Amino acid sequence: MRKLLAVVKHEYRKVVMRWSFLIGTLLFPLLGLGFAVVPALIFSIKGEPTRIVIVDREGKLGPRIRSNLSPEKIAQKQAEALKRTSFEPTVDPKQSADSLKNLTEGFVFMPFDANGKSDEQIRSELNSMAAEKKIDAYLIVPSDLSGKFEFLSRKAGDFVASGMLEDAVNDAVRSERLTQANISESTLKQINQAAEIETKAIDEHGREKNSDALLAASFVIGLMIYISLTIYGQVILGAVVEEKETRIAEILFSSARPFELMLGKLVGVGLAGLTQLGIWVTSLALLVGFLMLQTDLAPFLAGAPHITPLMVGYFLLFFLLGYFLFASIFALIGSMVTTVQEGGQFAFPPIMVMLIGFYFSFAVIRDPSSPLSFWVSIAPFWAPITMPVRILAETPPFWQIALSISVNAVAICGMVWLCARVYRVGMLMYGKRATLPEVWKWIREA
Amino acid sequence: MGEDDVTLRIDSISKSFGDFSAVDDLSFNVRAGRIFGFLGPNGAGKTTTIRMIVGITIPDSGAIELFGKRINGTAQDHIGYLPEERGLYKKTKVVDQLRYFAALKNVPQKEADRRIDRWMDRMALSEWKNKKTTDLSKGMQQKIQFIATVLHDPDLLILDEPFSGLDPVNVEFMIDVLAEFRQSHKTVIFSTHLMETAERLCHDILLVNKGKKVLAGSLREVKESYGRNRVAIRVDGAHDLLNDFPGVESIEEKADEKILSMRPDADPQELLRSLVSSGATVTKFAYVEPTLNDIFIEQIGGAK
Repeated sequence: MRKLLAVVKHEYRKVVMRWSFLIGTLLFPLLGLGFAVVPALIFSIKGEPTRIVIVDREGKLGPRIRSNLSPEKIAQKQAEALKRTSFEPTVDPKQSADSLKNLTEGFVFMPFDANGKSDEQIRSELNSMAAEKKIDAYLIVPSDLSGKFEFLSRKAGDFVASGMLEDAVNDAVRSERLTQANISESTLKQINQAAEIETKAIDEHGREKNSDALLAASFVIGLMIYISLTIYGQVILGAVVEEKETRIAEILFSSARPFELMLGKLVGVGLAGLTQLGIWVTSLALLVGFLMLQTDLAPFLAGAPHITPLMVGYFLLFFLLGYFLFASIFALIGSMVTTVQEGGQFAFPPIMVMLIGFYFSFAVIRDPSSPLSFWVSIAPFWAPITMPVRILAETPPFWQIALSISVNAVAICGMVWLCARVYRVGMLMYGKRATLPEVWKWIREA
Repeated sequence: MGEDDVTLRIDSISKSFGDFSAVDDLSFNVRAGRIFGFLGPNGAGKTTTIRMIVGITIPDSGAIELFGKRINGTAQDHIGYLPEERGLYKKTKVVDQLRYFAALKNVPQKEADRRIDRWMDRMALSEWKNKKTTDLSKGMQQKIQFIATVLHDPDLLILDEPFSGLDPVNVEFMIDVLAEFRQSHKTVIFSTHLMETAERLCHDILLVNKGKKVLAGSLREVKESYGRNRVAIRVDGAHDLLNDFPGVESIEEKADEKILSMRPDADPQELLRSLVSSGATVTKFAYVEPTLNDIFIEQIGGAK
């Protein structure tokens, strides 16, 4: 027992006391944060306001366009657009509009006197003003609504500004046409109003829950377990191959039983994995808690799925089940091969099995109570990925969770038993990679 | 030496892999306070035998007793084993590796730390304590491996080709350490194919070939059983006498002496008497001990 603990401690320290662990632990949340925040940050960088001249000889569309390009109008439009795409339909558009106003670059209207000038004259004057960088863009409104608008800009690549202008012009033209057709704008708004659909699922207690957020959270859980299993499986593979390659195995086997050594290694590396997952879960919880306090974002998070401590317990348990199943396979592969590279090739099949499990989790998210979801969340090798997803999407009856745990626990016992037999022979076979018939012989004879 | 001094008793052990018989009905005893040379050509079954002694594999039949008890898990804590193919963790600090190996032999951490410091100091490696293996030279790594072998103060030390790759200074140093072990009445099994080294260090030897015992005994006994009938002789005249003397099988001419090989039943003293009475001047007449190398070649070469 003392030797087993020594192995556990050694393997744990070997993983955790490395820079790669620290970097990996910090990097994953940072990457996640990066994907969420960086694009928003980049797009929120304020450009210089666009100095624009609007040439409108008729004087009908110009004022409408100007008013459509006012900061208030732009912010309101963006808030509406956000409302259409958001997971969370209960966001107060007014509040968002206020916070978005600051992010929007504006337009500054420059005076220009077009009276008595020909089109050619206007163009050449405006072009030279643009060349002298007195203005950034100009828009020439045609005399009749079906004519072409001419928009020229020094910053033609600024698609945000161009998009806003296009919207403003379209809106102005439409209102003008409506006015001509004697239809009031408010009538049209009522006609165009889209039906609002709030997608919500009902849990087993009849409570409503938000399915968009659930889908995202289920996906994240499945992905997290899949990634952790892959990473820590490879850690085991590398550690076993190192001991075989450097012949340390010979010294180890003369000091402790191979079963103790293998189990200690699995437990030690598994604890390192739990440490990392623990850090992630804790920091995620802290982050969510912190964001809840920021009043601006609270509405976004109000619809987040409710994750109970019991669920977190289940996730960690199923991570451990999956870890022991796959890690023992990786240990077996490590003791069969002679180099890490060779091990990498043999690691492909178990990784495929994991990947299939990860794909099954999409089916589980779509319909958590289907027969397929039931079977894949019970089956060994797949349950550790699919069951946590199912628990989050729609917690199945307890007997199913218990059955899944038992089936996988039995599978672990079988795998560890099998791997211990291959391990004790394979680790002392130098020179060439073991063939499958040889491995089968070791299993039978050991 | 009495029976009580037997550290390790090997009683007709056999081990085969498939159809290949690696060790075949091998028996021998290793006595305390002596250095035991375990000799044989490559593939003779040395490593297989050693692996059975240290508990890595189990014999198909036969028994192994350490201090009068059948070996089991706890026996491993009393054996220090330096394998021929040996290594260290590449990216782990030297001190952490040594602590781990000591912990696997049930040495308490504090005691282990004290011994690590003492050995590192003795090997003049103290400043390398917190370095990684990859920063160490090959010779240093070997010394670290040796420290790992003796950290738990084993009663039986098994060294498989311990000197390969060591420079002469370090070889001498290791030999000193082995002498200390012997003085504290510990037992050393020393496997090698270098007969010069074995001849210099070993009190007892066992020669195996193809999994079977070829010869065993103290170095003295083994040599005497081979050396009785070889004589180095320096003599003026009496040329014919030497050639015609019954029992002389062959004469090997050296620069200023002759080596005579005589039949086992011939008596070299009779030859000496004949030479003296013939009036020849005998300036040298000495039994020649065969080197271990000679014995090895004769035994193994003949068996092939």
